[in-house]
Amino acid sequence: MPTALIGTVFESHLRLGFFKKLNGNFLIICSVLHTSRPLHTTQQCLAPLPPLPEKGGEVRYGLIPEEFFQFLYPKTGVTGPYMLGTGLVLYLLSKEIYVINHETVAAACILSVIIYGVKKYGSDVAAFADKLNEEKVAKALAVKNEAIKDLETAIEREKKEQWRVEGRNYLFDAKRNNIAMLLETNYRERLLTVYNEVKKRLDYQVAMQNLKRQKEQDHMIHWVEKNVVQSITPQQQKESIAKCILDLKALSKSAQAAV
Amino acid sequence: MNLSFFDQFASPYFLGIPLILLSMLFPALLFPTPNNRWITNRLSTIQLWSLHSITKQLMTPLNKKGHKWALILTSLTTLLLTINLLGLLPYTFTPTTQLSMNMALAFPLWLATLLTGLRNQPSISLGHLLPEGTPTPLIPALIMIETTSLLIRPLALGVRLTANLTAGHLLIQLISTATTALLPIMPTVSILTTSILFLLTILEVAVAMIQAYVFVLLLSLYLQENI
Repeated sequence: MPTALIGTVFESHLRLGFFKKLNGNFLIICSVLHTSRPLHTTQQCLAPLPPLPEKGGEVRYGLIPEEFFQFLYPKTGVTGPYMLGTGLVLYLLSKEIYVINHETVAAACILSVIIYGVKKYGSDVAAFADKLNEEKVAKALAVKNEAIKDLETAIEREKKEQWRVEGRNYLFDAKRNNIAMLLETNYRERLLTVYNEVKKRLDYQVAMQNLKRQKEQDHMIHWVEKNVVQSITPQQQKESIAKCILDLKALSKSAQAAV
Repeated sequence: MNLSFFDQFASPYFLGIPLILLSMLFPALLFPTPNNRWITNRLSTIQLWSLHSITKQLMTPLNKKGHKWALILTSLTTLLLTINLLGLLPYTFTPTTQLSMNMALAFPLWLATLLTGLRNQPSISLGHLLPEGTPTPLIPALIMIETTSLLIRPLALGVRLTANLTAGHLLIQLISTATTALLPIMPTVSILTTSILFLLTILEVAVAMIQAYVFVLLLSLYLQENI
């Protein structure tokens, strides 16, 4: 579809004779039409990507890959590529394909600055890049290690809880004994209360009976005394008093004799 | 081929085909696209780190609305930096030595900041035309001065970049011509000139990086005032 559009645009431009004027804008029109197609927004393959090589390709003098030297080695030996380079440079210079002008000096200067910069700071920059990557990996590893540590702590705590559960039986036994003792004590207290209450009731009854007998006894004595006192006539009273006086006299006589 | 001093500033053509677009877009080829590997190689790591540093550096003074400009400012920085540094190589064409390109970058971006400010907060934007604490009699003159200063900003941005790079390149050409011319006559003076050229090259590397940074920094400052 987009190519068809480009084709029609191109044809229309040709027909309208705008070809020469829009020569410079041809690229722009092409690019504008192509942006209607979606670009890659995801990786094309969902399989795991192969690992990146550890180091970049070997390069000699910072420019020429080592494979070039290996390529020429069988035919021309070690000095082959160097001879090729020298010959090429001399050819360019002698035929004035490359003209030495003021730019050569400027080129020498900027190249020396670049080479100095790379030689001096190259390893530092590489170490910095490695450090950035290391920090990234270390952060992820730290997360993983912390998760592992947390899980291990959780496992230990769980084991401690299980140990505590084993000891739970003793706790329950002790509590059960405790409660049994309390119940026993309570029962005995109640028993004692019952005994005391019953005894109080019985004592009451006994006391009642004793009181009744006492009262009966007192009453009887009182009645007997009353009757006896009533039965004593005045005649008897005089006789008894005279007898008592005679007795006392006799006693006093015997007493005086004793003293 | 024989070069005059200004051939390096001529827009490049090859067999009648203009190469200007190619020379402007070529720096994009030098940056590998970040793929979705987690651990990348050293070049991609450094590239990502430097892009993050540049974006952080530019976006820290801006409020949240200004973060919309992150992509354009970061890519502008990278483009200018790469173009400037690549221009120091011999026989290369530096697009940023063309006033047309620099004005085409500076003018629309400056105008965008100005219009953003005038649209969203017109009184604050216009308030920038009068610095705080000016004595009352000076106000009319100062407003005119500030307006002139405001309107000259795009011109300044473009011309600053053009002039710095053009002057640097020209100086390199001139001193290297002096070196080449003196070499058969007075070799010692030629060596002295070479050392001057060496120092100048180091300066030009610095200038290339600083000018790119200054361009984008000034744009972000104009943005800060207006967003």
